[in-house]
Amino acid sequence: MELSRRSFARLAGTAALAGPHLRGQQGPITAQQIIDRIQKSSPGGTEGGDPTTALTGIATTAMATMDVLSRAAKDRANFIVTLEPTFFGRLDTAIAGDPVYAAKQEFIQKNGLVIWRFNEHWRARQPDPLATGLAQTLGWTKYEAGDDPTRYDLPAMTLGALAGDLAKRLHARAGIRVVGDPQTTVRRVGLLPGSSPLAATMKMLPECDVVIAGETREWESVEYAQDTVASGQKKGFVMLGRVLSEEPGMKLCADWLKTLVPEFPVHWMPAGDPYWRPA
Amino acid sequence: MTANQVVERIQENLGIPWNEKTYRDTFKVGDPNTEVTGIATTFMATLDLIQRAHAAGMNFVITHEPTFWSDRDTVNELADDSIYKFKVDFCARHSIVVWRFHDHIHAHIPDLIWVGLARALGWQQTAGSRNRFTFPATTLTALAAEIERRMNIRALRVVGDPQAKVSSAAVGMGYSIPRVSPDVDVVIGGEQPEAGGQFDDTEYVLDAAFFGRNKGQIILGHAISEEPGMEDCAHWLRTFVTEVPIQFIRSGEPFWSPKA
Repeated sequence: MELSRRSFARLAGTAALAGPHLRGQQGPITAQQIIDRIQKSSPGGTEGGDPTTALTGIATTAMATMDVLSRAAKDRANFIVTLEPTFFGRLDTAIAGDPVYAAKQEFIQKNGLVIWRFNEHWRARQPDPLATGLAQTLGWTKYEAGDDPTRYDLPAMTLGALAGDLAKRLHARAGIRVVGDPQTTVRRVGLLPGSSPLAATMKMLPECDVVIAGETREWESVEYAQDTVASGQKKGFVMLGRVLSEEPGMKLCADWLKTLVPEFPVHWMPAGDPYWRPA
Repeated sequence: MTANQVVERIQENLGIPWNEKTYRDTFKVGDPNTEVTGIATTFMATLDLIQRAHAAGMNFVITHEPTFWSDRDTVNELADDSIYKFKVDFCARHSIVVWRFHDHIHAHIPDLIWVGLARALGWQQTAGSRNRFTFPATTLTALAAEIERRMNIRALRVVGDPQAKVSSAAVGMGYSIPRVSPDVDVVIGGEQPEAGGQFDDTEYVLDAAFFGRNKGQIILGHAISEEPGMEDCAHWLRTFVTEVPIQFIRSGEPFWSPKA
């Protein structure tokens, strides 16, 4: 998983990497130098902006939407660390002639923002930072079961109450979707933040009362959860939405960056639940 | 009449050549030579659907989507799974046969799944691109509310400014939502990755809304978008299978959503 400095330079498309003596250096600290510091600690590319930009502050987010970027610019956080893509697809490619793409790029340039995607290497850290962060935000850390940040033994509650509590604590709008009887009592919880395959649900659901996932496919994990319930097992399955499930992990990322980059303020700027439904 | 004879009848009446290489449109459960007591057409052969079809006296399920939780219905690693065993045992005990009808119902002219979705939306197709619709200008929230009501959706998800004025939509079904583009106001579809896909409509619409553009994304759910077409499938089957009863049975929307 560890990218060499050479392959990183290619990914980022930058000419030069900063030297090792950051603290003693003359002049401003650049975004590239912070990336180097992150890589040393957790051995990602830049998505937009010039990595040699002098840093004023850092923002972490699950998705660098325009709303997030404008809040970051207002708070003078010009280095944005994002888990998901910025330019509307996994390849983050330019879209010729597209007005939204052009306006976003213009905003980034005008405000001197640098956006860096930090996904594979952040998710690869142990213990699982997305699950750990989600549990922290939900206030469940003390209920962790067997030193596994994906498992929690909660005080018993109904699936309906759990879903309501999740919506409240994560500031959800309409993104949370649930399979199972709202009256089912649940206690043993498993977490699968982000996007997860069928195999993850098939391993976790038999061992838990409810699995709280980010995003899965309707013909895979969702059908498996439906069939589990139809077989008579008192269980539930929750999909939070990908971004909503990943955002607490980026709060944890902000906390971690504060320890690596004490020179600057580090803000967590959640993109929020993208989804609503009519009243 | 056996299940296999029903499938042969479908192949004869399809109007297009059968693709022998399809891995989707094959038998998934049971002996194809089983005598059919009745046919249930549905979106997805969930255990609950199979149980209800059995209770209604139907032992042949024609499903649009998988039975065993993956596109290829791969079962060789499922032998030790208790839910797999439960589902297979139930089917064996009650002589249930399941056959998937996916690729060829989409390839049928017209695509019956598409016919069902357009009917459920209540929209008449006009000339031009088949998945484009125009309507009198309305707000995104009023459009979403109308779709939610017409299609009886519990867990609808919408992106964009609720007050955005919209008058055109591009519609997809199943695991596809059209790519939002400058010449269409709203994209509508079944299911799509939220981020990190080929094109992320959700983030695009959020950003378009930030810049005051009248864009919207309406996510119906995979089941909601393709279930209506399996009712059209039942109607179509009745035109050439008259020996056994045929009924459309809803597998239904899998989700509910907590109040915000």
